[in-house]
Amino acid sequence: MRKGEYLGNFDLMLLLALMRLGDDAYGVTIAQELEEQTGREVVVASVYATLDRLQERGLVASSLGDSTPERGGRAKRYFRITGAGLREVRDARKSLMNL
Amino acid sequence: MTPNHPPAIATWILKHFGCGPNNDVVLGDLAEQYQLNGSALWYWRQVLKAIPVSLFKELRDHAWIAAASVLTGWVLWYLGVITIFSGLTDFFFGMDLGVAFEPSHPIGTAWSILWAPVGFAASSNQPFSYVFAVLLPLIVWAICARMVRGAAGISFDRLEDGNLEGTRLAIRIHANRQKGIVLLFAVSTLLLNLILIGPFIFSFLQNASGTSTAWLYSYVGHLAMHVTASILGILIGGGLLRDRSTVANS
Repeated sequence: MRKGEYLGNFDLMLLLALMRLGDDAYGVTIAQELEEQTGREVVVASVYATLDRLQERGLVASSLGDSTPERGGRAKRYFRITGAGLREVRDARKSLMNL
Repeated sequence: MTPNHPPAIATWILKHFGCGPNNDVVLGDLAEQYQLNGSALWYWRQVLKAIPVSLFKELRDHAWIAAASVLTGWVLWYLGVITIFSGLTDFFFGMDLGVAFEPSHPIGTAWSILWAPVGFAASSNQPFSYVFAVLLPLIVWAICARMVRGAAGISFDRLEDGNLEGTRLAIRIHANRQKGIVLLFAVSTLLLNLILIGPFIFSFLQNASGTSTAWLYSYVGHLAMHVTASILGILIGGGLLRDRSTVANS
């Protein structure tokens, strides 16, 4: 990650959601987790836009899953947090605690 | 469990106007979540928010290519006006279309270029006027959008060949960003038309005594159809109305 790039509020929430969901982290479960924790409706497309950006920074990785009839034959895209992402979350937590 | 199908129109809109490589995945997620909550209102909110979110992401990631591609489309329209439309009026009617490029009068320049076919068609008031102001612009805008799509999709990548000295270039087509840039082209055209209507109304009101009501109604009618045809042409030529989905509809 480039020096000086902070994690935004939504970025941090997404990374924490990935940590909590483990192997079951894809668009639907991530959005549901965020809605449960924040009490606000989450735009699914925003989740992907942010996760793409985090993936470019090396903080998350993704893979395609199976498609199902409920999804109109469309595949799921699973996300998992990387080692760099875990370090970022820990650093962010430490900074917040210090502040 | 029999799948509960989400609103078909909203799905169609997202399928055709949603941008980026995640669009199919988002469609799948929304369909899956719709099975759980069954709320059409929720689905529509997600769709209407997904389109600008995905569009802005694509444009932010490819800002320069988007600007260059849209500019290409505008330049092609201008060339179409000064060649095709001007040529037709000159050939069939021996008249000047009245296109004026004057940097000192940007609004007048924008009117004359963007609405070039409308003024002439409104004055002629014949069946030909609808071909000139509606059908022909639809075709020309479609061609412009097709070129925008082409320009948006191409990139030149440098390939390093270990056996040869130096590098070589390869052309790669980026289908994912084409849709967003064509959509930007359509939105920019629509916005420019809407922006120009204000000064047009103001100018008309200032000179109302010198303009007949019949001509005004003819002009406004042709203008409305012209703008509609322009946007439709861009959507058709840019491939936004074509179903490029590779998944089976269930």
